[in-house]
Amino acid sequence: MKIKSLYNAVFGIATEVLYALTIILAAFLICVAAYFLKL
Amino acid sequence: MCCGIFFKTMILKPQLQDLKNIGYYTGKIIIGIGLTMLVPAVIGLLFAEINPALDFLIATEITLIIGLILTRVCFTEKDLNWMQGMIVVSLSWLAAMLIGAIPLYLSGHWGCYLDACFDVMSGLTTTGLTLVQDLDHLSYAHNLWRHFTPFIGGQGIVVIALCFFIKGVSGAFKMYVGEARDERVLPNVISTSRFIWLVSIVYLILSTLVLGTVGIANGMKPVNAFFHGACIFMAAFDTAGFAPQSQNILYYHSLLFEVITIVIMLLGAMNFNLHYHLWTGNRREIWRNIETRMLCITIVVIFLITLIGLNQVGSYPRALIMFRKGFYQVISAHTTTGYMTIYARQFINDWGDLALAGLICAMAFGGGTCSTAGGIKALRLGIIVKALQQDLKRIISPEPAIVEQRLHHLKEIFLEDKQVRAALIITLAYLALYGVGALVGMFYGYAFLDSLFESTSAAANVGLSCGITTPGMPAGLKLTYIVQMWAGRLEFMSVFTLIGFFIAAIKGK
Repeated sequence: MKIKSLYNAVFGIATEVLYALTIILAAFLICVAAYFLKL
Repeated sequence: MCCGIFFKTMILKPQLQDLKNIGYYTGKIIIGIGLTMLVPAVIGLLFAEINPALDFLIATEITLIIGLILTRVCFTEKDLNWMQGMIVVSLSWLAAMLIGAIPLYLSGHWGCYLDACFDVMSGLTTTGLTLVQDLDHLSYAHNLWRHFTPFIGGQGIVVIALCFFIKGVSGAFKMYVGEARDERVLPNVISTSRFIWLVSIVYLILSTLVLGTVGIANGMKPVNAFFHGACIFMAAFDTAGFAPQSQNILYYHSLLFEVITIVIMLLGAMNFNLHYHLWTGNRREIWRNIETRMLCITIVVIFLITLIGLNQVGSYPRALIMFRKGFYQVISAHTTTGYMTIYARQFINDWGDLALAGLICAMAFGGGTCSTAGGIKALRLGIIVKALQQDLKRIISPEPAIVEQRLHHLKEIFLEDKQVRAALIITLAYLALYGVGALVGMFYGYAFLDSLFESTSAAANVGLSCGITTPGMPAGLKLTYIVQMWAGRLEFMSVFTLIGFFIAAIKGK
């Protein structure tokens, strides 16, 4: 039970970090697109 | 003439029992605040800083005496009612400001006691505006206390008290709600408070290790690197924006450091209820939740507006610079953190009106409910957008059709009028608070956009500054921002209750 809780917590943290990294990546791609498209 | 019967509400004067309950629980929370000041005192002793450690010991002693007198004089075994719970919360925050300012004022780095109070309220409300002087030579103990105040206030002063000092009180929920946390993670409010602290401590350990390692890799001494790592985490996760150095995040000159702080800021802006769902196996929730979706959409839209504004004035022509200067400020504003990778006056000199307007919108919107972030909050914006959708569907649907609107926030919810009403009232209250602060700024001679920027930053507990917040600004403006930070953090209800209590004490029968 404790191992399952730890597993869930670790993957929960990983999901949260992935969410944040997705936003960061999207923002960086917008910056690159704006640079090339001269927005 | 309508046959209805009209009642005129009679205002009742507060009773002695009301005062005893309020005094007793406020006293307990004050004792809790006094004990937290032992942490910087110990750090001061560890770094051989005798005078700073003494500042904290003096402040702790004063606080404990006040707290003990209150709990003895007002001793009661009765539980709190709603009105008393709300007043305890609003008074506790004011007491924490007055008490927490004592060691800062004794350090000599704040021009006057009001400046020290400003910084403590800014820390407790996770704002991040500061009036400190010569920050780069501040002691470790005082610097730690500056960063510890957001850690206390972000999670909630009452949440701490519920965890450690107030046990088995059925009135606990009333204080918990008064601190702008209307969602319980677990059925028991004390278990909820403990879960909030579990998340914070786990992330504190992980982030301090990561930031400390990056600091060492960038050439900092290990002790300094981990001290800075802990301070930066506490201010980033609690969306406060304090930094140990006057140059803020610019001091570190590191892209990796900036990316890590962006991740921490976003984690801090997430609902603690969402953390619970994700940590207990419901990982899909992050992509389905209306708050996280709304946050994604508003961040992208506002960043696009800001980016167009910045490109109009040609401030950051290269993509990476745009990311590090433009996007960093947007995410810092939207999560209501207030970390900066530019100097304050650059907002006015380099950003242009459109980019600045985008940033003001980001600050006004804020992060997630039941998080450490301030502002209107993503859930309320989501509810208002859904209500608009529902009304549009009603207009284009045939008349007898019943239009139902659903939203997903931890579970499927049918949108009700009372939810829309509550969201709109708080949104209007925030907009009024932003406006009032801007008017006061203009009264003191600052330009409209500058005043609105700084006022929104204070009321939404952000901490970005365009240069108005300095030790030399008028005392009236300092007081205005203190009230804005306090009302914005507590989301009005407990502040209104306190005002009502004073009116009842004067006019009641």
